[in-house]
Amino acid sequence: MLLLGMLFHLKHASRSPFEIGSFVVVPIVQATLAVYLFRASAEPQKLLQAAVGAGMMGVWSSVLFGAGGAIQSQRWQGTLEMLMLAPRRPVMVFLPITLANGAMGSYALLATLVWGRVLYGVELDFAHPFAFPVAALVTVLSLGAFGILLASLFILVRHANAFMNALEYPIWLLSGMLLPIASLPAWTGPIAAALPTTWGARALREATSGGAVWPSLGLCAAISAVCLGLGALSLVHVERRARAAATLALA
Amino acid sequence: MRLLGLGSVIAYRALFNWTTPTVFVGSLLIGPLFQLIFFAYVGRELAVGDDRFYIVGNAVLSVAWTCVFGGVMAIGNERRFGTLGHVLLSPRSRTLIFLGRATPYALNGLFVAAVILTVGALMLGLHIPASAIPLLALCLAVSSVACSFFGLTLGALGLRFRDIWVISNVTTALMVLLTGVNVPADHLPGFLRAVGSALPVTHAAAAARDAAGGAGLATIAPDLLIEAGIGIAYAVLAAVLLRIFEAESRRRASLDTL
Repeated sequence: MLLLGMLFHLKHASRSPFEIGSFVVVPIVQATLAVYLFRASAEPQKLLQAAVGAGMMGVWSSVLFGAGGAIQSQRWQGTLEMLMLAPRRPVMVFLPITLANGAMGSYALLATLVWGRVLYGVELDFAHPFAFPVAALVTVLSLGAFGILLASLFILVRHANAFMNALEYPIWLLSGMLLPIASLPAWTGPIAAALPTTWGARALREATSGGAVWPSLGLCAAISAVCLGLGALSLVHVERRARAAATLALA
Repeated sequence: MRLLGLGSVIAYRALFNWTTPTVFVGSLLIGPLFQLIFFAYVGRELAVGDDRFYIVGNAVLSVAWTCVFGGVMAIGNERRFGTLGHVLLSPRSRTLIFLGRATPYALNGLFVAAVILTVGALMLGLHIPASAIPLLALCLAVSSVACSFFGLTLGALGLRFRDIWVISNVTTALMVLLTGVNVPADHLPGFLRAVGSALPVTHAAAAARDAAGGAGLATIAPDLLIEAGIGIAYAVLAAVLLRIFEAESRRRASLDTL
């Protein structure tokens, strides 16, 4: 069911010029921005880290806007009720959507690396060349699972767009995707540590420049699993509440 | 003038009748504020630009969110909600109707940018002298008008292309890169710098940074005049495209094709 659901959602997204255009072009713009920022800085040797960070930013945007957009789109098309009425656990209905968005986000990671290599001559000299693809795969799947928590929020609140627009940059910043978390105020540390994106970005950075990849990757997967569990519980609560308040379809 | 003023106010109210304060705050205030904070920290860490460079630049860029998407929605939503045909059936000038819609979006953009600049400067500790505020307001106002007309130009494409949102989405992403707000223009290659120079925000951001640093009107006037010229050019382009695409959509009977 997961695979069929993912395939269905990927096919559905492939019919939307908006999804295709945004997912194809925006990560490349972000990669270009990161490359020029690091070139302009005193640390141009960190271009590979910048490209990986920009790719990770794209994965997060894909999960965030993909999950939120998919829920909003189901609501506008009048199919959200059908999904909630399906004789399956809500998590099994929505997980394929967020996993599909995570999978689409992997394009961002790949595209930024290819773009950086071909256009800007960024050397793809990974410290752990075998760990990197594993870290990328696990991170993308973990973020897909984390997307379930977002999906439950987007179902509950009618204006998911506002949350999507507000959540993109803070997670980029707090997760240390482009910058080290140490450059942020100390009080942000605990928040960053609780985010799976932080550990996913860290695992990818360690696979790129050296470090213990697996502990970070394990934490990313563990936090995402907790989010998946919380998201599953939250979806049940949201379903009951939406039925009671009759607000599910209100856009 | 009545058509221009009253029509634009009604259209603006209609847009926000569909939404709530949460959407306004989340999309137009919190999102751009976090963008400003993100790039300010990037600037601090990479030492590419100082706080003034990033805070003032991103505050000016925040008008793009409001005005470009506003301009696109001014036309795109008519099609989405099935009311475009009614507007185009009007015996009055459609060009005037649509161009008039830039006004409330520009005012909205000015408000948003003022809030972003104030909150961003307070949060990140940027001191802006009181004497610079009138000139900063002028820079934000000129940029808001230019961005609104730029948004209408993109919106006009909505009469011809089905999915206008992909164009507006990609354009705003490109504005983050090309307007010299986050990557200093002299670090961009010539062709990207040239594209950036033709976009709104680029020159207003440069003027606003100078103003925040204490420069007078005479110093910032050239950049402001270029920004105003870019705004007028986009207004003319929007008017031309609206006329061409309206005629085309009537001929092809594609007005309400979604």
